[in-house]
Amino acid sequence: MIATLLGALAADDGGPAWILATGPLGGGAAYFGFWRYYRNTDKSHNFEHETRVTAQPVTGNDAKVDEITGTKKSGIDGDNRSNHRQRVQRLG
Amino acid sequence: MTNLPPPGAGDHNPLADAPIDPPASAPIDSPTIDTRNTGLDDGVNRCPQCGATDIQLRPSAGTLICLFCRHEWSEARLDETIANGDLTALRGTTMGSGATDIDTGADTMITMKCAGCGAEVVVNTAEQMGSRCHWCRHVLTVNEQVPNGAVPDAVLPFKITHAAAMEKINEFAGKRRMFADRAFVREFKSENVVGVYMPYMVIDGNLSADVAGFGEIETRQYTRGSGDNKETVYDADVFEVQRHVDFTVDDLTIESSAERANHDSSVNTNNIINTILPFDTENAVKWNASYLTGFTSEKRDQDVTHLHPELQDQMLSIARAQLVSSVDRYDRGVRWEREKLEVHGTRWVAMYLPVWLYSYYHESGGKGMVHYIAVNGRTGEVMGSVPVSQKRLVGAAVAFGGVIEVIAIAILAAAS
Repeated sequence: MIATLLGALAADDGGPAWILATGPLGGGAAYFGFWRYYRNTDKSHNFEHETRVTAQPVTGNDAKVDEITGTKKSGIDGDNRSNHRQRVQRLG
Repeated sequence: MTNLPPPGAGDHNPLADAPIDPPASAPIDSPTIDTRNTGLDDGVNRCPQCGATDIQLRPSAGTLICLFCRHEWSEARLDETIANGDLTALRGTTMGSGATDIDTGADTMITMKCAGCGAEVVVNTAEQMGSRCHWCRHVLTVNEQVPNGAVPDAVLPFKITHAAAMEKINEFAGKRRMFADRAFVREFKSENVVGVYMPYMVIDGNLSADVAGFGEIETRQYTRGSGDNKETVYDADVFEVQRHVDFTVDDLTIESSAERANHDSSVNTNNIINTILPFDTENAVKWNASYLTGFTSEKRDQDVTHLHPELQDQMLSIARAQLVSSVDRYDRGVRWEREKLEVHGTRWVAMYLPVWLYSYYHESGGKGMVHYIAVNGRTGEVMGSVPVSQKRLVGAAVAFGGVIEVIAIAILAAAS
């Protein structure tokens, strides 16, 4: 039995090793999940959506500048569309 | 239309050489709104019906009540006493007379002469705004705006009662007993929750923002290779994206105590108090220290100029949130690279807001931290930090991981 498992671990397709890693990963996830549930260190006032804001229609420009072919990445590098609090280069 | 330079041209644009941070100490030369409650003086404040001085808040009704004759009344809402107007017309920096710069040399201790017996009574405005005369038992309160910043423009009275706050804190902590520090569980007493009026600046703004970056639209998805080398790849069009939005903000609320504004969760749990925002600040009333009787308070120590960087940071975040729907077509995402904020006008009002606070000091690994459980004194929203028992939590995590591991080994054994 143990020899079989060691053999599986040694397999070069990475499959069995990945399955065996689920134990430590699951334990780690449980630890951080509960820790955050108790400590709430990630919580703050959601002022972007909980403040009364009246906005005029958004205006702007969109210009095609390039084409990407055959990339393995499923999304743009550094996507911060939803990360409103990440500050970028400030002008003015 | 936007007035930002194209993203790729930033290095050559004079705007790019401008200071990244706004001048936090920019001079503010703007009108002040007089928010003084001229009907009240420092010292003895009497019930308008019977003249008694035992006055306090009745939270369930939001009124002041005379404990002698039971007469109830309220101060006027601040919004009704100052001209709010159209926020798009806001220009420059306007502030309430209770939000003006603090005189750093002014003492927090205020001495008042009791109008009942002539005795001198000292009030520590860092923690409370009234005191009882130890000779004749009259209640003396601080109602005139003072240079030390202790008297704000307005106060939002407690609406949630002590009993309701206890119930909410019990419920919150009750859900977190299993892995809580054992000393915390033993010593937890929700009746120790205290009502505190916390200092905030409530800000209206008229602003414009420009943001620029790149967005990508997927044009094709396909697989390449064969067998074990098969992989998914994508083709995409890349766009320069520029956006502009004009917007007004009504009652953005920012901590005006430097200590409370520090939200570094590795050393404190102030983010807990921040999380229970927002308050219904439109219902704040003109200052009357009797609203604070029976509660403690924290004094403001930040001026408008100190809070400008935080204000601009939050306004930029609000602007970015407003743009999300305008870039829906970029299904591979958007990377904003530059942003610009123009503040056309702001109006600042200093306000005391009501928070029920349960505090617990906990030491772990030689490092101490105060853990708060806070309840919004108006809406009842609750948030907290409960110290964790590492022994219990690590034990549970190891057990949980062990069960998964056994299942994984069983699957492998069955497969082989």
